[in-house]
Amino acid sequence: MTKGPHPASFADRLPAFLFPRLSPIAMVGLFIALILFGFLIFPVLQVITVAFQDPASGALTLNNFGDFFGSALFRQSFFNSFYVSAISVVVATVIALPLAYITTRFNFSGSILIQSLGFIPLIMPPFVGAVAMQLIFGRNGTINLLLREHFGFTLPFMEGLNGVILVQSIHYFPFILINLSASLRNIDRSMEEAAQNLGAHGLRLFRRIVFPLATPGYIAGAALVFIKVFDDLGTPLLLNVNNMLAPQAFLRITSVGLNDPMGYVISVILVAFSILSLWASFLVMRGKDYATVQKGGGGLAKRDLALREKILAYGVVIFILLIVLSPHIGLLLLSFGTIWSFAPLPDAYTFDNYIRMWEGSQQYVMNTLLYAGLAATLDVILGTAIAYIVLRTGIAGRKWLDYMATAALAVPGVVLGIGYLRTFQDVDVPFVGKPLASWWVIIAIALMIRRLPYALRACMAALQQVSLALEEAAESLGASKFRTIRRVVVPLMTGGILAGFVTSFATAAVELSATIMLVSAERDSPLAYGIYLFMQTPSGRGAGAALGVLAVVIVALGTVLSQIIIERDKKLRTAGRD
Amino acid sequence: MTLEQKAADMAGIEIRDLHLSFGDTKVLTGINLSIRPGEFFAFLGPSGSGKSTLLRAIAGFGPQPKGEILIGGREVATLPPWKRDVGMVFQSYALWPHMSVRENVAFGLQERKVPAKEIRSRVDEALALVGLSHLADRMPNQLSGGQQQRIALARTVVIQPKVLLLDEPLSNLDASLRVQMRRELLALQRKLGLTTIFVTHDQEEANTTADRMAVLDGGVIQQIGSPQELYDRPVNLFVARFLGTANILEGQVEIGSDGALFRTATGDVLHLPAEGTAGPSNIVLRPQNIRIEQVSAPDTLQGEILHREFLGSQVRYLVRAAGTEIVVDQSHRAGEVWLDPGTGVHLAANTRDAVLIPRGA
Amino acid sequence: MRNTLKGTAAALVLASTSTAAWAEGSVVVVTSFPDDMTSVIEAAFEAAHPEYDLEILNRSTSSGVRYIQEIASNNTADVFWASAPDAFEVLKSNHLLAHAGISTEGIPDMIGAYPVNDPDGFYYGFAASGYGIMWNTRYMDANGLEPAREWSDLARPEYFGHVGMSAPSRSGTTHLTVETVLQGEGWEQGWAEWKWIAGNFASVTERSFGVPDGVNTGNFGLGIVIDFFGFSSRASGFPVDFAYPTVTALVPANVGVVENAPNPDGARAFVEFLLSPAGQETLFDPAIMRLPVNPAAYEAAPEGLPNPFEDTSIGAEVLFDVDTSGARYYVVSSLFDVMITYRLDDLRAAVRAVQMAEERHADGANAEAAALIAEARALIEAMPITEEQSLDPAFSGAFTATRRAASDQVEQRQAELEQQWDAFVVQNYARARELAEQAAAM
Repeated sequence: MTKGPHPASFADRLPAFLFPRLSPIAMVGLFIALILFGFLIFPVLQVITVAFQDPASGALTLNNFGDFFGSALFRQSFFNSFYVSAISVVVATVIALPLAYITTRFNFSGSILIQSLGFIPLIMPPFVGAVAMQLIFGRNGTINLLLREHFGFTLPFMEGLNGVILVQSIHYFPFILINLSASLRNIDRSMEEAAQNLGAHGLRLFRRIVFPLATPGYIAGAALVFIKVFDDLGTPLLLNVNNMLAPQAFLRITSVGLNDPMGYVISVILVAFSILSLWASFLVMRGKDYATVQKGGGGLAKRDLALREKILAYGVVIFILLIVLSPHIGLLLLSFGTIWSFAPLPDAYTFDNYIRMWEGSQQYVMNTLLYAGLAATLDVILGTAIAYIVLRTGIAGRKWLDYMATAALAVPGVVLGIGYLRTFQDVDVPFVGKPLASWWVIIAIALMIRRLPYALRACMAALQQVSLALEEAAESLGASKFRTIRRVVVPLMTGGILAGFVTSFATAAVELSATIMLVSAERDSPLAYGIYLFMQTPSGRGAGAALGVLAVVIVALGTVLSQIIIERDKKLRTAGRD
Repeated sequence: MTLEQKAADMAGIEIRDLHLSFGDTKVLTGINLSIRPGEFFAFLGPSGSGKSTLLRAIAGFGPQPKGEILIGGREVATLPPWKRDVGMVFQSYALWPHMSVRENVAFGLQERKVPAKEIRSRVDEALALVGLSHLADRMPNQLSGGQQQRIALARTVVIQPKVLLLDEPLSNLDASLRVQMRRELLALQRKLGLTTIFVTHDQEEANTTADRMAVLDGGVIQQIGSPQELYDRPVNLFVARFLGTANILEGQVEIGSDGALFRTATGDVLHLPAEGTAGPSNIVLRPQNIRIEQVSAPDTLQGEILHREFLGSQVRYLVRAAGTEIVVDQSHRAGEVWLDPGTGVHLAANTRDAVLIPRGA
Repeated sequence: MRNTLKGTAAALVLASTSTAAWAEGSVVVVTSFPDDMTSVIEAAFEAAHPEYDLEILNRSTSSGVRYIQEIASNNTADVFWASAPDAFEVLKSNHLLAHAGISTEGIPDMIGAYPVNDPDGFYYGFAASGYGIMWNTRYMDANGLEPAREWSDLARPEYFGHVGMSAPSRSGTTHLTVETVLQGEGWEQGWAEWKWIAGNFASVTERSFGVPDGVNTGNFGLGIVIDFFGFSSRASGFPVDFAYPTVTALVPANVGVVENAPNPDGARAFVEFLLSPAGQETLFDPAIMRLPVNPAAYEAAPEGLPNPFEDTSIGAEVLFDVDTSGARYYVVSSLFDVMITYRLDDLRAAVRAVQMAEERHADGANAEAAALIAEARALIEAMPITEEQSLDPAFSGAFTATRRAASDQVEQRQAELEQQWDAFVVQNYARARELAEQAAAM
């Protein structure tokens, strides 16, 4: 498929085009491309074409975009979304930076705390997080009630955009923590020592040398936070903040009977802007591959802490963890509380919520494990295949597989959900006798598409660390391409693949935005939907919280387990290397 | 302002009874060392000998050692790295990839709050010194290994440190560049008059550059001296083996009627020119101090050629004799007929150039 | 059994066939009602009709409508079951409801001022609810407030920042409340009242349940909610209470069979059950607490639940005109969002400024200040469109989904109109605030 020295004439190419002789790998690539097209691009196009139609006549028009930019409300929404995303990145950085710095720079026993608790905020369904945060930080939440009682003033943590920023930063900061820590760990020790040797130390050293060297990881994490916040729907809606783009799109798309194209216009703008942000972050990172660990280098020097420093470090870490885990603390209190109304803490404690939850929700748990497990498994399979095709083959257009899969990041869940309903409602599944759109498998597929970018990144990173020579060695010993992949490449990628699986699984298990459109029977509902149902009734809050706690525990256990496997795998591999 | 040091600014280094461990592992033991102002000094040793650790301890990196380190008479052992006023060039160069060449070189001056104008002129001077003024605006990843090495050097000397520490500075360069760079390094050191410590595992590098050197093994200094002293008069077998090729025969020194003699374990006898101390000893014979004779004579060892290598100026033979394998270098003359493996020969040792090392040293 | 099978990939086909077999007796119900309510009725229905298995799909009213619309081409839902009559009107106009022809014997035509059933027979009222005011007693005590009893009370300055409500575009029943006041007080006066109440809002919630939830947690003190939220919250133990104001509409909650339902017999059986005496009595469950539409059912009513068929004071004040409401449905929703939901901060600032100025000049002695305040009030109350415009079909056409013939040209697009209104109110609110602050400074 590569260009020959002379550009082939159309006639020359025609037969080859009509009867392509594709290699098996190219067939796999084509198959993946079809999956991505069928389950991502096409459904999304189905939705966003409305944005280009005149609502009355159905004719093609750009009027709707003119209306968007002509509307002060939409301009303000755009600005608010941008502002909230940017400030969330800043706040998330403020949270993640000290944690990353302390774990990577010091011999600090609390690092285990950070490593094991730091990812937990990610596995909270965002709308549950918002409920719990209201109870703790809201205008009449625990903190403000106590402040008012003892000091006579309150702080507007959760008022308007502040609330969105707070909830979002707490929810998404682990993206920055994970990427930044990895980046910091990859800095060669001599980079820092050279600066110390030339007279730099402390904050200046960090600002001028250490942080700039960690920017690629930081930007990767920050871009992710930015896009997720920009697209997120659940949190602003739950906090009743309407003047942002995603809620505006949702409100307009789902308003009873209104067929206002602006919702779709906003969806197009959300997708376009997210892609733009991703692209911008790629541009910034280009030529900045600072992975500087060289032979004999080995990460930044870890320093022992003096007693006073240790106390300070523990203070900082515990303070930050208390804040970022406050949604979980709130949820836990709520799940054990009887009535919690206008009081710093619940009136009394009980196990009833758990009993009620357990009676009604085994189904949800089973479904969630099934959907998220299936989605994450498919994700790592697709992720590995795409990573291999992109990094190790010369198939034309292979980059587009990466772009398409990554584009899923930029598609709001609601848009995907509606797109699926539009596309697959008329597709009947053989033997099942239901439309594909209401078959439970579609929920797993939606989750798979939504989480594919995470798994793909992890698989890419893992494959990049597998030396090409190892593959060539296997091939020179007579192993076929597929056997090489199966017996050499995939085993060496285990750690990365597992990491991808965990991220996909953990975040898919608590996803609501796409699934809420696709659940077609209560018996097919996943956990997040179950929590949502419970939380819709005055008496169901405690039970919903209990189910939320259960969700966090299940996902956390899974994550810890795979962390252990990854660590063991890492040890095995380093042992093999020596 | 110039980078060249006045004699008065030159600082010596004094290390007294230095001990250092990583946890329970002792890495340096009882280091005592005195480096003169303006001297080019090398730490030579195999990997794991502690030479880099000692260098890093002087710069202030790694675990806190016990003992004293004085630079120009000032105790620095408890000072953090940024207060020691030593310049270090790292094995990996450690150029910061996010800064241009100029920014890299200017860094240390900025940290010292030097006025911007002066920074500019001093950076220019330092870049001129290493001959890379034209690369000032490049990024480090656009430079070759040798260029990076020079920038790293410029970045260090620009701050006019009291001493210059070089950690295996040539190990990442290819062989031809290495020879050129070590000459440049030496020329630069002489020009600046900087007290310099150079860490290397390559004896040729140390021999060609250093005024004096310390040979380290197992965290202990084995011997200090000029390259010639160390080669000619090693105090122990380690130094003898580490510097150049050494044939070592075990045996005994005996004082006989006709003076001292060395009797090998296999009973061969070599007469010694000087008085020796009787007792178990080893004798070190350099390959070039042994001649191959076709006929037997007194003070020769009988043997058989095992292997031959042609090295250009020399032919190296491996000979089985005195119960061991002995390396012998014969200088090569055009048209000479070489001896084939299997040939029986007699080895005549020039014991005047041999070194006796008492057993156990 | 299906669950365990589902776990293994090999059982996929088995699982699907078992689904197909079991689907014969299943009735898929799309509803906005909470699990608390549906589970009780589901149990009663399945006990009465063991041949059917009720499959509940919980959606908010708006996304439920959207769901039925999206799956219409290959429909899998049998019943749509929700409060807001408007949602049913939308489905009806999209031809997505079936004419089920179910007998409504014994059920009066009207409850309060509202017709119980769709006159065209596409959907049926099965329970009545009215809007009212719910409050958190702890919150009120802590803030030294008395509960508001009438809508107009909510506009009083002491409630500033203490009130919560949902938006008519989000909740059909909220729409009804808004429309009830508009019809009761007139277009201009009604909107003015809503704006003064909205000036006291803590927030406009995205879901109707957000309001009782906010009151229950004490996030805000008073909420404008539908009665059963108040009753069931109180029944769950929250320190809350509920009261009907004198001006309220009793509105039927409805049920309808979806057009082209996969199980039309099951759907009909469910609707019939709901309207039967047995079905009506399930509404007295403490978690439900809705008013039956069949007067006969009230014999078994629990203490304290009002009987609208005897106590005519509830909901009788207003004569609700369904046609008017329907004609300007989207215009009212959109106006509320543009003037209140999306510009709540501007509105609150203006209202607060007026409240402060009025407090400062409570004695009315300063005529100049009084004039400024009057001007500010007028600016806040000013409407971008008149009642005639709101009822003009060409005008509201900009908001509706239906495709029209090319000949009836729609003058403006919704987004354009909204932008004009938005500019109008933003400017007025800002100016009102300025004037009020000016007056307060005197």
